Amino acid sequence: MKTIKIITVLFVLALTFSCEDQLNVVPEDNVASNTVFGSLATINGAVVGIYSKNQSGDLNGMAQLTTDFMADDVEFVGSFPSLQEIDQYETLATNASIDNIWLDAYELIGAANNIIVNLPNVNPDEVTGLTEADKTKFIGEAKFLRALANFQLVNLFAQPFQISNGANLGIPLVTKPFEGGDISDFQLERSSVNEVHAAIQLDLLDAIAALPEDNALRANAGAARALMARLHLYRGEWAQAADFANQVITSGQYSLATDYDFFDDNPASSENIFSAINTATDGPQETAGSDEVYVNFYNAAPGGRGDAPFSQDLIDTFAAEAGDRRFSELSIAASDAGGNDTFFTTKYPDVVNNASDGMILRITEMYLIRAEANFQDGTSVGDTPLNDINRLRSRASLADLGSVDLDVILLERRKELCFEGHRRMDLLRNNRNLRPGGGAASAPGADKVIFPIVDDEITNNPNITQNPGNF
Amino acid sequence: MTKKCKWLCVLMCLSLSIGFAQQKTITGTVTDQDNVPLPGVNILVKGTTTGTQSDFDGNYDIQASMGDVLVFSYLGQATAERRITESNTLNVQLQEDAEALEEVIVVGYGNQQEKKIIQNIAVVKEEALENLQVVSADQLLQGQTAGTQIVNASGVLGSAAVIRVRGVNSINSGSQPLIVIDGVPITDTAGNTLNRGGNTGINPLSYVNPNDIASLTVLKDAGATSIYGSRGANGVILITTKRGRKNSKTTLTLDVNTQFSQSTDVPDILTADEFRQFKSEVATIQNGTPTSPEDLNLGAIGSGGTDWLGGVQRTGISQNYNMGIRGGGEKTTFFFGLDYQDTEGFIIGNDQQRAGARINIDTEVNDWLKAGMNLGITNNRLNRVSVENSINAPFTTAFLQSPVVAAFDDEGNFAQSGSFIPNIFARVALNTDELKTFRVIGNAFTEVTPFEGLTWRSEFGTDRLDLEETLRNAEFNTPGGSAQQISVREERWLTNQTLNYTATFNENHNLTVLAGLNYEETLRSRLNVSSTGFLTDDLRNLGSGATPTVLNGDRFPSRLFGLFSRLSYDYKGKYLVEGSIRRDGSSRFGANNRFGYFWSAAAGWVLSEEPFIQDLNFFDYLSIRGSIGTVGNDRLGTFPSLGLFSAGGLGDYNGESGVIPNQPENPDLKWEESKTIDIGLKSSFLNGRVNFNVSYFKKNTTDLLLNQILPPQTGFTSISRNIGEMENAGWEFELSTVNVRTENFTWRTNFNLTTIENQVIQLNEDAATDSEGRRIIDGAIQRAIEGESLNNFFLIRYVGVNPQTGDAEWLDVDGNVTTNPGTGDRVVVGSPLPEFSGGMTNTFKYKSFDLSVLMNYSYGNDIVLDGLRFADGNDAIGGIVNIRRQNLNYWRSPGDNAFLPSPSSSTFNLFNQRSSQQLLDGSYLRLKNVTLGYNLPEQALDRLGNFVSGLRFYATATNLFTIKGDELDGIDPEVTDDIDPLFQGETFFTAPQSQAYSLGIRLTF
Repeated sequence: MKTIKIITVLFVLALTFSCEDQLNVVPEDNVASNTVFGSLATINGAVVGIYSKNQSGDLNGMAQLTTDFMADDVEFVGSFPSLQEIDQYETLATNASIDNIWLDAYELIGAANNIIVNLPNVNPDEVTGLTEADKTKFIGEAKFLRALANFQLVNLFAQPFQISNGANLGIPLVTKPFEGGDISDFQLERSSVNEVHAAIQLDLLDAIAALPEDNALRANAGAARALMARLHLYRGEWAQAADFANQVITSGQYSLATDYDFFDDNPASSENIFSAINTATDGPQETAGSDEVYVNFYNAAPGGRGDAPFSQDLIDTFAAEAGDRRFSELSIAASDAGGNDTFFTTKYPDVVNNASDGMILRITEMYLIRAEANFQDGTSVGDTPLNDINRLRSRASLADLGSVDLDVILLERRKELCFEGHRRMDLLRNNRNLRPGGGAASAPGADKVIFPIVDDEITNNPNITQNPGNF
Repeated sequence: MTKKCKWLCVLMCLSLSIGFAQQKTITGTVTDQDNVPLPGVNILVKGTTTGTQSDFDGNYDIQASMGDVLVFSYLGQATAERRITESNTLNVQLQEDAEALEEVIVVGYGNQQEKKIIQNIAVVKEEALENLQVVSADQLLQGQTAGTQIVNASGVLGSAAVIRVRGVNSINSGSQPLIVIDGVPITDTAGNTLNRGGNTGINPLSYVNPNDIASLTVLKDAGATSIYGSRGANGVILITTKRGRKNSKTTLTLDVNTQFSQSTDVPDILTADEFRQFKSEVATIQNGTPTSPEDLNLGAIGSGGTDWLGGVQRTGISQNYNMGIRGGGEKTTFFFGLDYQDTEGFIIGNDQQRAGARINIDTEVNDWLKAGMNLGITNNRLNRVSVENSINAPFTTAFLQSPVVAAFDDEGNFAQSGSFIPNIFARVALNTDELKTFRVIGNAFTEVTPFEGLTWRSEFGTDRLDLEETLRNAEFNTPGGSAQQISVREERWLTNQTLNYTATFNENHNLTVLAGLNYEETLRSRLNVSSTGFLTDDLRNLGSGATPTVLNGDRFPSRLFGLFSRLSYDYKGKYLVEGSIRRDGSSRFGANNRFGYFWSAAAGWVLSEEPFIQDLNFFDYLSIRGSIGTVGNDRLGTFPSLGLFSAGGLGDYNGESGVIPNQPENPDLKWEESKTIDIGLKSSFLNGRVNFNVSYFKKNTTDLLLNQILPPQTGFTSISRNIGEMENAGWEFELSTVNVRTENFTWRTNFNLTTIENQVIQLNEDAATDSEGRRIIDGAIQRAIEGESLNNFFLIRYVGVNPQTGDAEWLDVDGNVTTNPGTGDRVVVGSPLPEFSGGMTNTFKYKSFDLSVLMNYSYGNDIVLDGLRFADGNDAIGGIVNIRRQNLNYWRSPGDNAFLPSPSSSTFNLFNQRSSQQLLDGSYLRLKNVTLGYNLPEQALDRLGNFVSGLRFYATATNLFTIKGDELDGIDPEVTDDIDPLFQGETFFTAPQSQAYSLGIRLTF
């Protein structure tokens, strides 16, 4: 009997030995949300995180590629039914390629809202090294990136301003971060294109005021002005477009590079205003979704997939005026995914490390905006359209022109900015068909020259309105 | 003091017996119920340690005295006792044990007598496993027991099978059962290796040598699983490895076999010339002008091509060597196992070498202390290949690669394919993808018995996995070359402390009480590095690359602490009740819900112990039982409840570290809980020749953890919440019969059948809704709908090609024919869940020959072969991919019953969009395993001078044939692209299963 007692006592002791404290285990590879605003390093990290999201293959890569497939610069080859749908103006709401553009943009906006809403409440006295100036700059960066994402979305998912003077449906404008709990604040209806544009303008004006002229390779005041110039151009507000473009050109921060080596992983080039910098060591940008879209799709095999070669129309366009360095130096002959001999762009050359940068804003575009806006308005803010166009032509080793018209300006714009995601909006806002000799499906205002609101949004938001068309 | 007395007594008795007993030699023959001599029967003089074994003719001789009792015992036979009389000859006929119901069965944290078990468990015993030749342990379960569904993950070596005990119990958490090897719950993290497309996680059961396994117990109802608390909801599989038997002769078994494997069935695709012809005919019709293959850049008819599909297959030749040594003395028993497998898959580039060793030792230190240790070590080297939707998957790429693309140039070197679909021959030949694993699973225990009836068992166990995956892509395939290395260490240590008390009161009241404690610590750490830019392919290691590209290091700790107890009581073995309770605490759960309680209660009535049943003189055994209880599922990742920001690659930018939100906070998160009701009947009649069991269960899972999809505007895709409810209900039938039993011939049949109905009772309030207002979880192919089964294929209905117009036709949502359907036209078109499934084993014995035939089947389920969107039709991937032969049957003129619409139809390019066209009937009956064996008769062994005590030759064929629908020609019906329940029955292209033939020999010394 004694033995039983001893054993029982031992066992009860074993049971009461508290293993329960051992159950508090903390993550080692993540930061809990309540600690993010605790130090300057983590606050800066939370801003860096927004840039990192902007680097995702869907926001910078897929967004450009899909619009190229809709327009006339690239030929669709390849195996993705979702990309084929886009190419054929049959995009459905369930399309897997556009889904992540929407999701990633709102993830970016959420990360930016976290800074914009919560950082002002952080007392600099309680965080070592944090100053009011830091706070202003961080918030300015977040606003610039939020504006960029909203602009990207409204261009892709809504008809352009020209269709109904901006009264048509744009996108939902989210201004708060989600912190668990109630989701009804995140089931917003779509604001009109004008409202979205106004919000972007507000963010950009704040960013211009808050950001330094030189902010190393992060967003600076010039980037905000440049995006403002593009927004006004897209709205046909010529005077403001020319003015903001001219401000950037005359800021002294940027200048036309003499050759085209700024495409080759050269973010510090004087050409660049703002780019999505990809490096060999930054690893996958996303846990899900597509990564490294530029190098993957725009380059031929091996290395790339060879899904987005030059269209015949673009080859012919370059061939019409021989000697263009933008063709001879920025293209390569190779066979596409279908085995046909064609040409590929070399604007994203690093197929090994996926380290080619996304060209978001560069000074050349400012010259093109100034030229187009001045031409449309009959003004010469900064310089004449002819001089601006000849500047770019001479860099491309083409002879100076004696005069320019809108067609010439748009042609120059096309040859300069092809494969950088501009072409579709340039055609639509000038009321031109997306395809040479294209029919009703590719005409401005057609249902599927824009994307449907993605299925994830439709099924999870009762307040959303789908775009017209059979989705 | 008492102890001393006891020893003195023993000594005195011994000396007395030496002095006075009339020792004599007893001889005799032991036979079975059919008068067949039984070799190897243990014969013991009761109360002594004097013993012997019968020889091959069943003869024995032993020294004993008149009045002694001899005990004859043999596995599967009822033990017999005979008192020695004046005669010196004692022949004994043993009787077959009625279903061996006296046997002791392994259950959670203990053993129970089989006839007293009122938990619902399925046991696969050593006899059933003995002659089954398999590569990994999961195959031992396939088709053997009701309620356990095993879907093999293609014929790719090392891949995890999908194991479901009683269906899918969860939507977003794992649905794989807990696997416990000799008391050690093993880890089975899927993300330890690189994703190679589809379901390519490494099979956790590949770390135990199937030849070392003594028995498998599948715990099914709550009565059996609730003792595993927060981990029991998906069922528990207990694996017990072989141990020695006391006082038995040491035997050595040597098994050597050679296997040849090939693919079961592959789709019929076009040759280069058929492809050229087809493309030129289509282009001619579409362009309105004659278009030759040359015009299409396909080369002239007759200009050659590549048989890609032929080139990725081979006949795999494998060797298996296995040795087992088993024995035991008076105090110590042991099992020692050694195995080596050199397996070559039938897919190029896929092979595996596994070496394993095991040692199990038990010893009785004295009359109150037992100690022992189980230790299994495996070393595995696997050359991996990709599967499913991956351009590096040999089978997928071989289906899709254009047959006109040349694999080699004129000089015989690899040629670039020129498209993103690579030259798969070059990928496999030049790249390296090697996975090396080393795993130790084992425990050491002591058992203290302070007095009869009470045992304190103390176990310390470990499961340690070291894994290293090395990739090296050659210059030809990746310009500049690249290398990657992943190292994972997942280690778990645990302790189980149990007290077990068994007692019988007043002869009729039997009581067993178990109380225990279980603590486990698991740490998974992972290092992932890669680099690019190699001067030459000869520089193999990643340090030689110029640019480091990925650098990740992570650690994931988790801990579990459980207290449990079980109480079993029976009256005369007739009325039985049992109850259990467990309290679990887990570091995985939210601070507000860290601890959970799980319980069960069961009752049984052994009717065959009642006189009114015994009077019927019909049943050998008859019982009914019922149980109710709760269990949990904790498979939800390591920190699902915290609000988190990610760093590393996801947050950094241009060399600066950053963080980005990746998980919203949810402190209320807790485990999923299943409540199960189970009732069953067990019977045995006609002298044990027919055994029939049936059970019904209903399992209601609440607090279902759903990744509730958040509105995208939140910036998060989902949040984990306990919001769902789901129910599985079904019947399980098991019938085993001895159809024929004569002296020379026996035929036994085991048959089992399972039906499971699944219903989603509730999804989250703010879930998306369908047009009828029902809540749904939507996927590209499947949709879970509240009130219906979790898995429904939700697709546009494809009708066929209209023979008059040549247009492909679909049905819109209202059932009207349309030629331009949209996503709004999707409806429920099928289910991946079978109406019933199961298996059947027939074993035949004729003289020295034995034959066992194992079949498994599934009926009423559908599968979706997503890859048919590419392998059918003309335009997928810009028309560059190869297609199945039936596409040659395109519509040419009115009246044609065509597969493909007219090339000039507007539907020609819409044809292969996602629809029920890719939905196929997945019912099948498969001849899984046939083994024919021949045991050399004793006379022959005698003539060999008894050099060996047993010699067996055998031949095994796996997947000999499969009966399935015609539309499944070339397609394997067992598909598992993903172990995620929401993707059940979907595949891109499943690599076929292997059809294997093996020849082997087993020697026993």
